[in-house]
Amino acid sequence: MTQRFRLPQGGVIERSQALTFEFDGAHYEGYRGDTLASALLANGVHLVARSFKYHRPRGIFSAGVEEPNALVQLARGARTEPNVRATTAELCEGLIATSQNCWPSLELDFGALAGTLSPLLPAGFYYKTFLWPPTPRAWLRYERFIRAAAGMGRAATEPDPDRYEHEYAHCDVLVVGGGAAGLAAARAAASTGVRVIVCDEGARFGGGLIGESETIDGTGATAWIDATVRDLAANPDVTLLPRTTAFGSYDGNMLALVERVTDHLASPPAHTPRQRLWKVRAGAAVLATGAHERAIAYANNDLPGTMLAHAARVYVRRYAVRPGTRAIVFTNNDSAYATALALQEAGIAVGGVVDARAEAELAGSLPRRARAAGLTILPNSVIVTALSPEDAPAGSNATWSASREAGIPRCTCAHSPAGVCGTTMRSRRSCRSPPRRRSSAPAP
Amino acid sequence: MLLISCPWCGPRAQSEFTYGGDATVKRPPLDADEAVWAEFVYLRDNPAGPHEELWQHSAGCRQWLRVRRDTRTHEIVDSAPPRASPRDDR
Repeated sequence: MTQRFRLPQGGVIERSQALTFEFDGAHYEGYRGDTLASALLANGVHLVARSFKYHRPRGIFSAGVEEPNALVQLARGARTEPNVRATTAELCEGLIATSQNCWPSLELDFGALAGTLSPLLPAGFYYKTFLWPPTPRAWLRYERFIRAAAGMGRAATEPDPDRYEHEYAHCDVLVVGGGAAGLAAARAAASTGVRVIVCDEGARFGGGLIGESETIDGTGATAWIDATVRDLAANPDVTLLPRTTAFGSYDGNMLALVERVTDHLASPPAHTPRQRLWKVRAGAAVLATGAHERAIAYANNDLPGTMLAHAARVYVRRYAVRPGTRAIVFTNNDSAYATALALQEAGIAVGGVVDARAEAELAGSLPRRARAAGLTILPNSVIVTALSPEDAPAGSNATWSASREAGIPRCTCAHSPAGVCGTTMRSRRSCRSPPRRRSSAPAP
Repeated sequence: MLLISCPWCGPRAQSEFTYGGDATVKRPPLDADEAVWAEFVYLRDNPAGPHEELWQHSAGCRQWLRVRRDTRTHEIVDSAPPRASPRDDR
């Protein structure tokens, strides 16, 4: 089995349907239901991108549309698309993805030299301010290289082979977001006999509830989602729009949605539009969009292996993927304890939970459960920096080189909402008590 | 997009309508002062709040209508046939 980081069971993926895909020329295997990101993690691939300016190694940071790091190019001939978030790209048979903004390869990137020149490249540095050497001939020589450094991926060069269509729709209630709240709202509205449209950006309804172990009305999360979606789909007055993002709300409850009709298919069927623009006039709009986690800044929090706490939980629960072998969870609230428990359950060695709050504030049910599960909790502490496993100076690329050699990431680590997180086991030594803020922002 | 209620067709999208300008201005007599004419041709109030406007349902029944719209909230307060408004006597 090639997916070394796939858990033997669990997850909301179709294990009977194995898919092969390619990333930077290497062949991997995943399952239907995976995203590109979860399939890469299942194969132990953490280094997937380079940052825009300093070409710092970047890994998979989130599990959804909020992904800032894992931007890849999908190679599909005339349909090639740059800057696709690996966390939202659905896996399909034969998918070919490549890294971008690196030369000659993702592992060995000359552009990373920019990091050593960073004192000379202030924020907002603009290449046309390059004034030396001052002759036009010299400019014509080096302009090529400077221009090549700009931009991330490559745009398609052939004409767009696809068609796009518009659709107008009217409904009494438009529900934006198909998670627990959205589905419950849609079911409540539909039960009164009104026309309902439910849209969700994901391929599957359920949102953050997918793969979770919570119960609703005494039913397991997955069973509840399935039953609710089945009820809604059976109702002729309800329209379910998966893979549809609402991107605008205008006067008079006019909402604009974009439906990605064929983007997830290996070869789109003929006479099918690629995307559909919906203009929906709704009697009422329910925004059940959920929330994104916010990371706490600390030095080197962009090292591959660093991940939002909720994202780590999603990879374990929804995709049955271990995002690493060892983890430290850094948080300032209770929700990350659920991640710590999920990671432990998945067989990941959780080095501890670093919590910025004082001991007295850790009385919630999740911290109690974490203690009962034997997790180490470090209250009143924050992570100030993440170090590479080789103890190289901060900011070096050593994490991924070590990972590649060993074939496994040395450590994963999870942030919490508004929480930071450590990246390596060593970062534990950098934990200080009492918390002391040090200005540390991720490099651009 | 605004939802404008046409007195003949019911609520319709703004894209079916054409804006016809301020409904409160009244054409002066032909022999009026140049200053009066200049005001009629060029000068308009720009109220922050309810505004009387003329719209034509150009992609529908093609009737003109008088719409009261709040310029701050874009709320369509009221709409009526052009001559049915109480302010028509101005």
